[in-house]
Order: sequence, then structure tokens, then C-alpha cells
Amino acid sequence: MSNYPDVVAKIVSDYLERVKSQLRLVPVREQNEFLREIESHVYEAYQQTPGVDDVARILAVLRNLGEPAEVVSDRLPGTMVRSGTKRNLPLYVVGGILIAMFGLPLGFGGLGVLVGLLAAAAGVLIAFYAAAGSITLVGSLVTLLGLIRFLAPHLFDRLVELGFIQLGGAVGEFLDQFSPTDQGLLMMLVGCVILAGGLGMLWVGKHLLRGLRFLFSLLFDRARRLAQTVRRKWNHEGREAPGMGRANPKPAVHAASRAE
Amino acid sequence: MEYQDEGKDRRVTQLRKGILELAVMGVLYHERHYGYSLVRVLSERGSIALKEGTIYPILARLDRDGLVGSAWVESDQGPPRKYYALTASGRQLFDELSQELDLLVSLVQQKWKNAQQPEHAGKRLLVEKG
Repeated sequence: MSNYPDVVAKIVSDYLERVKSQLRLVPVREQNEFLREIESHVYEAYQQTPGVDDVARILAVLRNLGEPAEVVSDRLPGTMVRSGTKRNLPLYVVGGILIAMFGLPLGFGGLGVLVGLLAAAAGVLIAFYAAAGSITLVGSLVTLLGLIRFLAPHLFDRLVELGFIQLGGAVGEFLDQFSPTDQGLLMMLVGCVILAGGLGMLWVGKHLLRGLRFLFSLLFDRARRLAQTVRRKWNHEGREAPGMGRANPKPAVHAASRAE
Repeated sequence: MEYQDEGKDRRVTQLRKGILELAVMGVLYHERHYGYSLVRVLSERGSIALKEGTIYPILARLDRDGLVGSAWVESDQGPPRKYYALTASGRQLFDELSQELDLLVSLVQQKWKNAQQPEHAGKRLLVEKG
């Protein structure tokens, strides 16, 4: 952070964090470059803003700069497009369809349904991770047992005698056809396959998680904008109510020159 | 009258939004700028008061389309600055868009002139068509 007073540095840091959180779907390199650019802008603007109260100065700078969502507004669509083409995750497409079907035409009710669906999706994701974790654990254990059978068959027999390992039924009968060494190799092979399956599920889950996080952030962003619109209208009506007219009309030149 | 005021504000904002990208290209046509200096030029020379952050989405869009090039330059006064300048294709597009804008402006001004003309001007056209 540049040479700001502590309190100003904290405010700038918080603002940049908010910008960063808006950019979480943007590639890291692009994210860092944009943050550097905004940091540079804030510094320049702060230096050019007159005043003795540092906090008031930095707040004025950030107010002129705008809300982080506005500052990054045009980066997200591009990133969303790129994400779609690069990863081609069906979840992104499904999310878009759900929002188009429920979120837009039905307003609050549709958003409620969408929240429910997202909660269900989160539940599925948790179950998916639980299954992936279990499969990974089973694969690791079978591989370990195979290794023990291969390297120390007597230890394996001892563990069977003590009841720590119970290999009965069809599996036991099948393994009895082979020598201890072959049994070990076979178990390691099967264990590695299961382990690979579990790790593969975890790898896929990472992308599923990213997709779900994207859907959640999209939903919250839409809800926040809706709340802002409602609040703005509410405040506007509140100002109009007493005289049913413009109590304090905005200067036309100022209003006209705002190009947000 | 409230609706009319709001409608006017909204339309002026839309008009300025549409023109802002072209204005940015116009400023970058002649000299390179970093984000903050670009905002200053637009607001001082062009009298366009804008949320400063809106300049970055525009620059990002121009950059993505290859219409501007950018380079980081160290600054003695603080953090490095990212300078932007119009590329050759950006200049070409700006020239074309400027012509389009001139056409639109002349169209708007022509309509305005017509509105000042006497009533029979429109009737004469109808007679010619018939």
C-alpha cells in the first residue's frame, strides 16, 4: 500500500478487497493487474483531492470512483463468457436456464424457488464430496493392505487372526486361489483403481464447487441490486410524499452531466 | 411533470453513455493516458461528470477488442500507472465512427431545422409523392 495514513490505508485496503471479491471469477493475473490499476487510480485521486481530513478525502475519492460492482461491471460478462467456453460446464448452462426460467419472470417467488434449488444443489455437492472422500479412503486402505500382504504376509495373517482384517465370503475365496505375493499385487492394483476414482471425483468436485459458487454469487448480486433499486425508489417516494412534487429539484445541468 | 424530468435525465444519461466510449477513443487518439488522467481530461475538457470507475469497464472493453494498447509505466509520485493508447485498428474505427456520428448529428440537426420550418413544407412533400 502506498504512503497513506493508517486509517486511510485500511479504508483503501477494504475497498480493494471488495473489488477483489467481485473479481473472484476472473483469472488471477487479470485480477491482480486490475487491482493494481485501481490502486494507482485511488492514489492519484487521493493526492489531487484537497482537504485536511484524510478520511473525508479518501471517502470522497472512493465515492467518485463508484461501487466495486460498477467498477468491475464490464469485466464479469467477458469472464463469464470465457469461463463458459473454456470449461464448458453444464452447471453454468443449467444455472443460466434456471435464472432465466425462475428468477426473471417470477420475481421474488422465482428467486425463492431458485434459492431452494441452489440449496438442493449444495446438498448434492456435500453428498458428492462425502462419497468422494469415502472412496478415496477405501482406495488408500486397500492399497495399504495390499502392500502389507506383499511385503509382510505374516503380519497380514496375524491381523486376520486378531480380527482386524476380515476377508470372508466370495472375496476371500477368490483371493485364496493366489499366492500371498499375488494377493498383495492384486489388492494394490484394485486399491489404486479405487483411489484414482476417489481422487478423480475430488478433482471434478473442485470444478463443481466453482460453478456452484458462481451461481450463488450471481444470485446474491442480483438480490443486492434488487434491494438497491427498491431502496432507491422507496427513498425517492419518501421525498416526494409531503408536497406531491419536487421539493428540491435537482439542478438540470448537474443531473444531465451524470453519465454513469 | 416529474415523469418528464426523470425521462429526460434517463435519456441524457443514455445518450452520454453511448457517446462516452467514442469520447474515450477520441482522447486516446492523440495522446496516451492512464485511467485517472483520462477521467480528468473528460471532465475538464469535455465537461462530462462521470463516476470515475465507469472508465475502467470501457477501457477493458476496448482492450479486449484490440482497440487500445496498454503499458505499465513507473511513476515517481506513487504506484505505477497503466497507460492506454489507441491502436491502429482503434484509430481506423474511431475515424469510421466519427463519420457515423457526424451523420447522426446532421440528421438530428436537420430534423430540428425542419421543425422550425412553416407547416406547408411537409404538405409539399406529400403532394410530390402522390
